[in-house]
Amino acid sequence: MARLESALRFVIDHGYQVLLVGLVVVLCIRNPETRRKIVRALLVLGGLVVGAVFLAAAYGKMKPLPGLAWSWPSVKTSLAMFAIQVDSYELLAPGAANTVAHVLPYFELFLGLWLVTGIWRRWSSLLASVAICGFMIAITSAYIRGLHIKCGCGIGQDEDVGPAALLRDGLKFLLPAILVTIGAFWIHRKPTASESPTPQAVSSPAATN
Amino acid sequence: MEVFTDYQCPSCRSLFLGTLTQLIASDYIASGKVFLVHHDFPLQAHMYSGFAALWANAAASLGEFPAVELALYQNQDAWQANGDIAKYVASAMPSADFKRVEAIVNACGTPAPQSAPNSGNPLVNIPHPCALDRVIAEDVELGYKIPVQATPTYVITFKGNKLPAGSGVVSWPILKQFFDSLLSQ
Repeated sequence: MARLESALRFVIDHGYQVLLVGLVVVLCIRNPETRRKIVRALLVLGGLVVGAVFLAAAYGKMKPLPGLAWSWPSVKTSLAMFAIQVDSYELLAPGAANTVAHVLPYFELFLGLWLVTGIWRRWSSLLASVAICGFMIAITSAYIRGLHIKCGCGIGQDEDVGPAALLRDGLKFLLPAILVTIGAFWIHRKPTASESPTPQAVSSPAATN
Repeated sequence: MEVFTDYQCPSCRSLFLGTLTQLIASDYIASGKVFLVHHDFPLQAHMYSGFAALWANAAASLGEFPAVELALYQNQDAWQANGDIAKYVASAMPSADFKRVEAIVNACGTPAPQSAPNSGNPLVNIPHPCALDRVIAEDVELGYKIPVQATPTYVITFKGNKLPAGSGVVSWPILKQFFDSLLSQ
């Protein structure tokens, strides 16, 4: 499990850099067919990167607390601890915070797996983008209200809410999600006339005579 | 559960009045399932929090800590406006005890210990610290090791394992649920 977590962290830490380089390459490519091929490849990679974000987030929230082994009760205890973090945002009533804490990690797990499969990528990446925006709004709200709390993201070291957490979330999480969303919608649209292959001119004996 | 608090901190007041009072009154403490340990972490930004900690520790030496802690948080808005902590400590105990507590605090002098940026020495401005100053300074030094970056910060230790520190307010039903889940392991 530790290796899996390390692998996910590696993908998250470096994935956005690769996607940014890929974006530059795509913008420099003139040939429409080549561009589409590169975008398709980047979408697969992007799906893995954004999927890794949500899988790591789910894992971070569910993994056993120090001293406890993996078991259903230990997962419940970890989620109860996550409920404390959600409650500390002071955005929801205790009951609602508890519900969010016990549903969100499973949602993240589902969304992470969905992104990795690439099925209906437009919608999975759009949902991911919306979810990350929601998290960032919550962090911003806590920061503006002067709350000195942990972000509870579950990925890597738990950062305090504030500009550093927002920068990290924006760069490593939201940027890849938005790039994948835009790319997935772009690749799905019908090619324009300039991108369609031009039909070959057919010479007829009558025309040449 | 170790809690690092500042008597002048609004979130610490919310945590104490909304959650810790219920924890203290609950079966968890009485039955020994949970041990609640209070640590002082007066923040430099709060002018009177160090003095409030002095009063609370002086009261603790006479066994009057619970009443004084409650009085300090309940009247936080009042005493933080002008620093008149003595008035509210006096209202929380018999007058004879208050005189003894007052004598202990007066023996300590000013300023009171407070946490400092970059884990600075909380006694740096106190050339002749009294015993209570040292007690508060020990709590602050302990907080630096967590590290406490804001108050309230709490650390729960379960079967010898320190869980990741938490900060901010947590409501009693949520905390209770966590204790129940942890104790069922």
